[in-house]
This record gives sequence, C-alpha cells and structure tokens, in this order.
Amino acid sequence: MSTDVILTTDIHEQMGVPQPRQRGKAGGFLRHTNVLTGSALGIILSVVTYAIGSKLVPWGTQNEDYSQVGLNALVGATYVAWVIGFMIGIGAFAGPVRWMMGHDITHDDSEYLAGKGQGKWKYWKYTTDHKVVGLQYLVMALVLLGFGGFFAMLIRTELGVTWSEVFDPNFYNSIVGTHGIVMIIAMIIVIAGPLGNFIMPLMIGARDMAFPRLNALSFWLLFAAVPPLLSNLLLGGIRDGWTVYQPLGTQAPIGMIGYQICIITFAFSTGIAGVNLITTIVTMRARGMTWNRVPIFVIGILAAAIMGLVWFPMFQYSQVLAFSDKVVGSSFFIPQEGGSVWLYENLFWLLGHPEVYVILVPAMAGLLELMVVFLRKPLFSYKVAVAGIAGIVGLSSVVWVHHMYLTGWAPSAGYPFMLSTELISIPFGFLVLVMLGTMWRGKVWSRLPMMTVYAVLWCNIIGGITGVYLSDVPVDQYMHGSMFVVAHFHFMLMGVGLFGAIGTITYWFPKMTGKMLNERIGSIGFWVAFFGFQVTFGSMFIAGLQGQPRRVLQFDNAFEISNWISTIGAYTIGVGMLIFLYAIITSWRIGTIAPANPWGSKTLEWQTETPVPLDNFPVLPVVTSDPYGYGVPDPYDAIERKMTDENVKVGA
Amino acid sequence: MSTTTTSSQTIVRSATTGEPVTTTARRNRLGIWLCIVSDATGTVALLISYVYLWSLNVNSAWAPPKDRFAPDLPFWLIVAGVVLAAAAMWWGVHGMGKGDRWQLILASALSSIIVLVTFVGQIVQLSTFPFAITEGAYASATFWLAIGTAIHLSVVLFLTVAIMNRTRVGLFTQNNHSHVRLVAMWMTWVCVAVLLGAVVTTTMKVSPNTNSPTFGTFSD
Amino acid sequence: MSIVDERPTAEADEPEEPTNRPEPSYRLREWLSRPYVRHILILFVILTLAVIPAAWLVLHFMNLSGAPASAVMYEIERTMFVFTLASAPVMAITAAILLYSLLGWGRVRGEEPPMQESPAIRSNPIAIVGWISATSLLAAFLVIWGLVELANITALSNGTTSANEQPNTAKPLDINVTGQQWVWTFEYPDQQSITSDVLVVPIDVPLYFNVTSKDVIHNFWVVELGVKIDANPGAITNTGVTPNKLGNFNIRCAELCGLHHAYMETQIKVVTQDQFDAWVREMGGKKFV
Ligand code: HEA
Ligand code: HEA
Ligand code: CUA
Ligand SMILES: [Cu+2]
Repeated sequence: MSTDVILTTDIHEQMGVPQPRQRGKAGGFLRHTNVLTGSALGIILSVVTYAIGSKLVPWGTQNEDYSQVGLNALVGATYVAWVIGFMIGIGAFAGPVRWMMGHDITHDDSEYLAGKGQGKWKYWKYTTDHKVVGLQYLVMALVLLGFGGFFAMLIRTELGVTWSEVFDPNFYNSIVGTHGIVMIIAMIIVIAGPLGNFIMPLMIGARDMAFPRLNALSFWLLFAAVPPLLSNLLLGGIRDGWTVYQPLGTQAPIGMIGYQICIITFAFSTGIAGVNLITTIVTMRARGMTWNRVPIFVIGILAAAIMGLVWFPMFQYSQVLAFSDKVVGSSFFIPQEGGSVWLYENLFWLLGHPEVYVILVPAMAGLLELMVVFLRKPLFSYKVAVAGIAGIVGLSSVVWVHHMYLTGWAPSAGYPFMLSTELISIPFGFLVLVMLGTMWRGKVWSRLPMMTVYAVLWCNIIGGITGVYLSDVPVDQYMHGSMFVVAHFHFMLMGVGLFGAIGTITYWFPKMTGKMLNERIGSIGFWVAFFGFQVTFGSMFIAGLQGQPRRVLQFDNAFEISNWISTIGAYTIGVGMLIFLYAIITSWRIGTIAPANPWGSKTLEWQTETPVPLDNFPVLPVVTSDPYGYGVPDPYDAIERKMTDENVKVGA
Repeated sequence: MSTTTTSSQTIVRSATTGEPVTTTARRNRLGIWLCIVSDATGTVALLISYVYLWSLNVNSAWAPPKDRFAPDLPFWLIVAGVVLAAAAMWWGVHGMGKGDRWQLILASALSSIIVLVTFVGQIVQLSTFPFAITEGAYASATFWLAIGTAIHLSVVLFLTVAIMNRTRVGLFTQNNHSHVRLVAMWMTWVCVAVLLGAVVTTTMKVSPNTNSPTFGTFSD
Repeated sequence: MSIVDERPTAEADEPEEPTNRPEPSYRLREWLSRPYVRHILILFVILTLAVIPAAWLVLHFMNLSGAPASAVMYEIERTMFVFTLASAPVMAITAAILLYSLLGWGRVRGEEPPMQESPAIRSNPIAIVGWISATSLLAAFLVIWGLVELANITALSNGTTSANEQPNTAKPLDINVTGQQWVWTFEYPDQQSITSDVLVVPIDVPLYFNVTSKDVIHNFWVVELGVKIDANPGAITNTGVTPNKLGNFNIRCAELCGLHHAYMETQIKVVTQDQFDAWVREMGGKKFV
C-alpha cells in the first residue's frame, strides 16, 4: 500500500481525484457564519419565539397541577429556539442540506472548512480541523472550571459562616446544584475534549478525526448548551442539586428548564463526540499500530467514549421526560398521577455511575502515558492496564444501584450490587498496580506532570477506599446523604479527575499551544491547591462521620469546627488554582517557544512538528513497536545472570 | 498495490480526503452502528419507563380516566409502514448493486412516500389518542413512545428524500453507493424500535398491580 | 523526511530466559537483601501501624453525639472499624512505594530529558499474580463481610433481636412516619393513632417504621441509631430498629427536599416503657385522631 504515503496536498494532483462542481467560493455558506452570526440568530429566534409565545400562552396560564404551566412552556420553547437558532446561525445544518441537495463538497471546500487561511478567526467558526476543535474544547473547559470553582467558593463561604445565612436557601441550593453539574460537565470534557481531539489523532498517526464535521458539531452543541445552564441562576435557580431528583424538580422555578435543555443538548454533543472518537480509534490507526501497540491513553479515551456513548442517552431521556413533566404536564415522575420517583433515580444513575468513570479513566490513562516519559521506563505490564480499563468499563454499567441502596426501591438489590460495586476495586487496583510497577526503581525526572501522578495516586487511594466503605450497604446506611459522600467524590472527581487533567494538560501543553508552560509558577499553584484540597476534604470526612447531611446551609454546632477548616482549605485551593491559571494564561500568550519534543517522548504526536501542520504528518508514519521502548537492561538481571553462570560452574 | 496510475483510477476516491471510498464506507458503517447503539439506549429508556410504570401503578393512577386505552390498530399500521419503507429501500440497494439506478430512484421515491404517509399517520394518531398527555402515567408513556416514533420517522423522511434526490442527480454508482446501504441499515433499526414500542403499548395495558398504596397515606 | 518509526521492537533487548536459575528461595533472599526492598518493607510496616489508629479515630467521631444507640448502629460501626483496618495495608503499600519513588530511587532535575534511562522492567509475573490475588482476597473478604452484615442488620432492622442479642419477645411498635416539606410527623397506629412531631419511643422495644412522603423525596435518618430510609411519595418503605440507649438523639432529613431541607430535623426521645406509657396517655388524652 504505497499509495497512502503521500502528502495529502499532492494526492489530488497525483491521483486526479475527480471533484464535484465547485459552487461559489470554497466554503460556500460557511464563509459567512461564525459564532457571532450563530449567537445573533439564536437570540433573535428566541426573542421572537418568546414574543409570539407570550401572545399565545399568556404568563398566568394555569392548569390543575402547576401554577405556571404556560410560563414553563414558553421558557422551554425559548431555550429550544436558542439552541436551534444558534446551530443554524453557526452553519451546522449547511452540511446535511448540501448532502440532501446533492451538492457535495470539494477538496477546496473541505480545506476551507478545516480552517485553511483564516488565521485566528478559525477558532470562532464551524471549523472541522481536530486541532482547532481541541483548543476550543480546552478553553471551554477552563471557562466552565472557572465558573464551577467560583461557585465552590460561594458554597464554602456559606458553610464557613456558621453564624448566619449568607445566601437565601434558594440561592444556596442553586449554586450547589450548578456547581455540581457545571463541574461534572467540565470534567467530562476536560480530557476527552481537548486531548481526545487534539492529541489522540496525532497519537495514532491519523490526519484528522473520522468525521470532521461531526467534530465541529459536537463542540458547538456544547457551546450552545452552556448559556441555558448558567442562565438558570438568573431565572430562579435549579436548587435541587446536580441530580435534580423528581418530583422536586417540577416544583423548581423556570431555571430548571435551562438545566434540562442543557443536558439534552449536551447529551447529543457527547454522543456525537463518542461516535467520532470510537470510529477514529478503531479505523484510523497508522499502519502497524496493532491493538497491542496502541498507546494506553488512546485506550482510555476509547473506554470513556464507549461508556459515554452507550449510557448518556439514559440521562438525556430522564431529562426529556422531566422536561415533559414540567412543560406539558405529563406524569412520569409525579406520583399522584402514576409516576414513579424510582424511575427517575434509575434512569439518572444508569448514566450517573458510568459517567464517573468517563471522568476517571482518561485521567488515569493519561497519567500512565506520561509517567513512562518522566521515569524513562517502559509501562509496567501494558496488558494489565488494558485489562483494568476493560474491567472498569464492563463493571461500570452494573453498579448504579449503589446510589440507591436506601431509596427502598428494592432492598434485596443491595446484595448483588454491593458485590458488583466492590468487585470494581479489583480492576481499579490493576491501574494502581501498573502505576506502582512503573514507578518501581525508576529515577524520576521531577517535572510538574510527573508530580501530579503522585498527587493523583494518593487521592485515588483515599477516594477509592472511602468508596469501598460506601459500597457496603450497612455503612452507607449511615453515610448516605452525608458529607462523607461529598468528601469521597471530591477525592475522586477533583483529586483524580481535576488533578489528572492538570497533569495531562501540562504535559501536552507544549504540543497544543506551541509554548512551554511556566513550570515554576505552575508548580506553586498546583501544590498550594493540593495542600488546600487535603485540608478541605479531609476535614469534610470528619463532618460526615459526625453525621452532617449534605446540601444544608445551616447545621448543628457540632460540625462547626470541621466546616471552618474546610472553608480555609477551600480558599487555599482557590488561591492555588488562580496561580495555576495565571501560569497557563501567561505561558500561552508569552511563553517560550516549545521544541517539537521537549520531553523526549516516543509517542507519535511528539514526532511531528510544533505547531502541527494542517494535515498533521507530511508522511503518514508506520509503527513497528509499542511506544514504551525506554530503559536500559536491568542491572540486577546482569547480577542474576552472573549468578546463573556461576551456578553452572558449580553444577559442572 | 504498486501499480499506481492504472489501478488508482479504477478505485473510486473520496473527493475530500483522496482515500478510496471503500475505506470511508467502512468507517461510516461503524459510525452508523454506533449511532444505532446510542439511539437504542434512548429507546430502551422509554420502554423501561413504560413497562416500569405499568408494573407499579403508583397511586392507582396508571390507567387513563375510564380506562380509555389507545386502540391497537394504528400502532400496527405504523409498524407496517416503516417495515414496508425499509424493505423498499433494501430493494433499491439491491438494484443499485446490480447497477440499476432507476430501481433505486423508484425504491427511494416509494420509500419516501410510505414514510411520509406513516409520519402523517403518526401525527394523526398522536392527535386522536382518547386521552391527554396529562391524564396519568399510561397516557404520558404512550405519548412519548409515539413522539419517539414521530421523531424517528422525520429523520428517516429526510434520509429517504435525500437518497432519492442524490440518486436522481447521479451521485450513486454501482461501486459507490454506500450511503444508501447505511440509510437502509438505519431504517431497519427504526423498524425494530417502532416494533418494540408497538409490542409494549398493545400488550401491556391494565396494570398487574392492583393494591398500590394511596398517595401520602398508609392505606392501600 | 521520513518519520517511519525505527524504534527497536519490544522484545529485541530482552535477555533470553535462563534455563538454570538459582533456587527460588535463594532468589527471594537475594531480592529481600536489596536495599530498596528493605526500605520499602520498613516503610510499609511503619505506615500500616500509622494508619491503624484511624480505626479508633473513626469510631471516636461517629460516637461524638452518643452513638451507638442501637444494635444496628453498633454493627455499622464495627464494619467501619474492620474496613479501616483491612484497608490500612493497601494504603500503606501504595504510600510506601509512592514515597520511595519520590525520594528513594533518585531524582533528576533540569530542562532536558535525562540521558540516563531506568531499568526496562516490562512485566513481572510474580508481582502481578501476587497483587491480583491479594486484592482479590481482600475484596472477597470485604464482600463477604458486607453480605453477612447486611443480612444481620436487615434482621435487626425488622426488630427480631434485642440489645443483648436475644430474640426479642416484646411486641413490635408500629410507627407511621410521614415526611412533608419540611416536617416529620409520627403516627402511632396502635396507640389510637396519636401523632407527634417528636419521636418518643420505649427502650428495648423493636420499632417498625412505615415511611412515606406527602410531596417530594425525603430521607428519614435517625443518626445515632443508624436508621436510614427514603420517604418516597407514592410508596411506602419499611425499616426498623431497637433502641438500646436512653436519651435524646437526632433525626435529620438526608435527601435534598427543597428550600428548608437544612431545617428538617427533629429528635427521637428514647425513654423507659413507663415514661412512654405515660406519654401515650397524655397525648391520647389531649388529642384523639
Ligand atoms: C470520578 C469519580 C468517582 C469514582 C472513580 C468513584 C469510585 C467509586 N465510588 Fe463513588 N461517587 C462519585 C464519584 C466517583 N466514585 C460521586 C460523584 C458520587 C456521589 C453522587 C451524588 O450523590 O451526588 C459517588 C457516590 C458513591 C456511592 C454512593 C454513596 C451514597 O450516596 O450513598 C458509592 C456507594 O457505593 C460509591 C462507591 C464507589 C466505589 C466503590 C468506587 C470504586 O470505583 C473505587 C475503587 C478504587 C479503589 C478501591 C482504590 C484502588 C484499588 C486498590 C488499591 C486495590 C485494592 C483495594 C481493595 C480490594 C479495597 N460512590
Ligand atoms: C469535578 C467535579 C468537582 C470539582 C472539581 C469540585 C471542586 C470543589 N468543590 Fe464540589 N461538588 C461537585 C463536584 C466538584 N466539586 C459535585 C458533583 C457536587 C454535588 C452537588 C450536589 O450536591 O448536587 C459538589 C458539591 C460540593 C459541596 C457540597 C455542597 C453541599 O452539599 O452543601 C462542597 C462544599 O464544600 C463543594 C466544594 C468544592 C470546593 C471547595 C471545590 C474546589 O476544590 C474548587 C476549586 C477549583 C477551582 C477554583 C477552579 C478549577 C480549576 C481551574 C480554573 C484551572 C484548571 C486547569 C486545567 C485543568 C488545565 N462541592
Ligand atoms: Cu426533607 Cu430534606
Ligand atoms: Cu457510583
């Protein structure tokens, strides 16, 4: 197959690939669309919808169940109009329409769409190049983390001020819920988005993602999903936690509709991204990259994409049905009318649990990928790592009931689900083993990404072991709904997820931005945040053990001390994160130029130039081994061989 | 494949990436399979909702007022519609495989018409249910299964019309018509989804649970 | 120009498996004599010992407000205790290797990738098999412990055993618990359905709770007695407990239920049978539902 090893730019001339008729200038309709036209159309369409709608269903419309059914429908329609208007305005429908009309795009069109010759402006357009999409995701994730972090500070302020209510209960509950869901969304995308899009295709030696236009679609759907979510705080808030258990959600103010529209849209975005990532990994690996040579990070992304693709629709439908309950008055979750609260809980946790591994697995896999570089050692037992990830993916879909032990839904389900949940610690342990084995006898090159590995491993053990406590039904009978749970999952989500994201993103930062990260400042920020984190959530375990429920803004005096400590810790995290963010932003803007392979790594993405050219590799690489060929023969082996030789002599 | 010029001209290549279209076709097929998997989870979510609420009969409020359940026939007519449309599309794929473009035009036109009729039928069914969506859990679940079908049908309608148009313009040839096959695959899945919906709505009506507790009290 | 990967294949450098290795016991002794192995083992022992007190610490914090006040809570605390002990070695071994990697095997600083490579250990069947069996055994132990304890507390919750673990002969006391934004109501169906917003119960009598809600989901949590169950609208859930300690304990709502979820708390008063009877008479005299 020598035909593929040719510059893409040359393929067309050399092969004489017949082109469809070029209609107008390259890019067509999409020449005129960008985020501004999208937002403008979205806003116009929603204003028009609202104006027309409010004539049809006046504000005060009521029916026998809801005081505000008319208003809910109106707000729902307005949000839907925003999403559709935005997507039309950014040009998302141009592709399908052209396809239907039979106006296929040409090579020039597709190069325009990939952002050729548009300078920085391409980051604001429906650009299909995976590198552009990756950076768009990165900025989006940082913005969301910023919001989430800000809300976290508000939460801790309220909980630290034990002598009075800083916020009213409605606002407090709303920021808890918004903090939760914003952070969860941010963490779902923070690795699979930037790194899965930017780095993964390079890592497997591909020229782009399998479906470049779907790639742009998935990002802009996410973009459209965010304003409805954040706007909830202006419209009365979501006040029901990130899980939004029903029927509480039907009582909520109209801000709830923003949450629902956000989740429904975001689910499309994740589904599309999942299809794209899986197809790319399965069908577009470089020649010679057999399944046992795929970098472990790629396996991690694949695992996350599979879990997201398969389970996200459950969450989406839970919100579709809740939306329907709120807006048109159906009764899926309204017990008076035959609905069931357990139905909602099951649908929610069917995704809710796999989703935590969607967050965790890419983070762990990314750290495995980078630690070999800093230890100059091969990965310890690639097979065990893959088995661990596979085991987690397999088991993740059969443990969701551990969030529902005490709902009374099926008390005897406690037995099998306790079993399945505790079994997860075995494949999870595989990943820990691989980390420890890779560290074994390695001389560390102490750079920031490697330091996050240590931090994460520590948090992993704390979070994992407390998770095992919770998975035990008798213990959960005390801990469920208490601060202990909150501390457990912050150790996982933040200690593993966010710190893992910090590690992986600092590692690939030079490739993505072309600049070196200012590691001195970055490290200070990271360690301050890490220290604050231990204090905050360590002390939260104590509040949990003492019996402080979660999602409360006032509590018994008995919990005061541990909450004060937590709040001090949280502010420390905040300061650390700001320092870290400063390092990221300044390095990105004025950092030193990064060489192509600053870490001396052997994976493919570092073998191409920085900044990465439009078609990634001038010549597609051919892979002949796995990327872990670091290290020198083991000196102890030499000793042993000598002993063996002596043994021979003795025996002889 | 070292023979370059001659062989590469016989291979049909994608206009945008220059890869052989068989490569992109394989890739797209995996993509469609994954879409089907994801959509299947969503459909299962609706089916679970229906079956679970049926089995619980919370507050004895499953059934619509006066037990006015939806008549069976429309569900089966809609199933028949999508099955026919999918069969027509497969017939077209078959024809194109033999190089018969007209068979595909005819098939996709037929398919589009059937889907359109079925879609209209679905809308009619939705607007003539003997209950409103607010009247109990059965009503909600049935409405949403039907709405799900309507959404599926509208997507299918877009696809069949597009196929018809693209065949008409001459974009499909004997060795480059993978899109048609993918659409037919998707339509087959839609048949399954609609069929499952019809099965539950027509077989599970009166709830088996007759002594559910009365809301907010401790009595049955 | 070409970036065809010319790295050596994984197998290339690996020495052939020697056929006449020294005795396993000899190799074990050799391994144990390596300095880093000794250091890590010592670190492991120290850390394990350091973590073990946490088991008591956990109990200390759980008991601050008067727990355990029932056999169920006692079992829960015992589980916490055992789990903490059991996970001490897991934590310790991980932390030991982590610390040693950070401090013991040497560090390189600098901007350039280090020239010196570490030993190319790609796998070690003994380590893998050992780790997997150890964690599986531990997991098996935790699962079995959990299953047995669950069966235990289920039995205790339904009130069949009293504080001294003898089968309880007392007649169970039925209590209907209703959650409602944001108050708890307790109804005593066998005591002429008197109702109260404070739970008053006699000691050493099995209590049997029927729990429901009038609006959204609440969660009935009797903290020091280790009782917890959701109060669901449209469904009745059951649980039970036998209090074995006199005193006032906390009842909290442990499921977010709207604005004043934080304030949805009340008390359980565990009193003697005589006091209870007196209370019932008093309530019954005043209010008859
Ligand atoms: C990234 C996120 C993440 C991860 C990875 C996990 C991992 C685990 N979680 Fe956690 N969890 C959450 C996020 C996460 N969780 C969130 C967000 C919630 C709350 C949601 C809400 O209500 O708002 C939650 C809640 C939650 C509950 C419900 C609590 C309740 O509300 O009542 C339970 C109960 O079983 C649980 C268990 C576990 C277990 C057993 C693991 C296991 O996967 C952990 C396995 C890991 C280890 C055990 C450590 C490493 C292993 C070894 C070193 C091997 C040897 C060890 C042993 C054999 C023990 N979690
Ligand atoms: C990933 C998820 C995530 C993260 C990171 C955090 C981070 C934090 N969380 Fe959050 N939290 C949740 C997920 C998360 N949380 C969830 C799901 C809930 C449950 C909600 C519910 O009950 O419904 C919750 C609930 C919750 C509560 C309980 C509220 C209650 O029950 O009443 C509290 C209380 O202290 C809290 C505090 C904090 C604090 C102080 C931080 C701090 O650590 C925050 C510090 C972070 C920042 C300041 C910004 C982040 C970073 C950057 C801007 C740069 C990053 C750069 C790169 C990645 C390159 N959180
Ligand atoms: Cu009731 Cu919280
Ligand atoms: Cu879980």
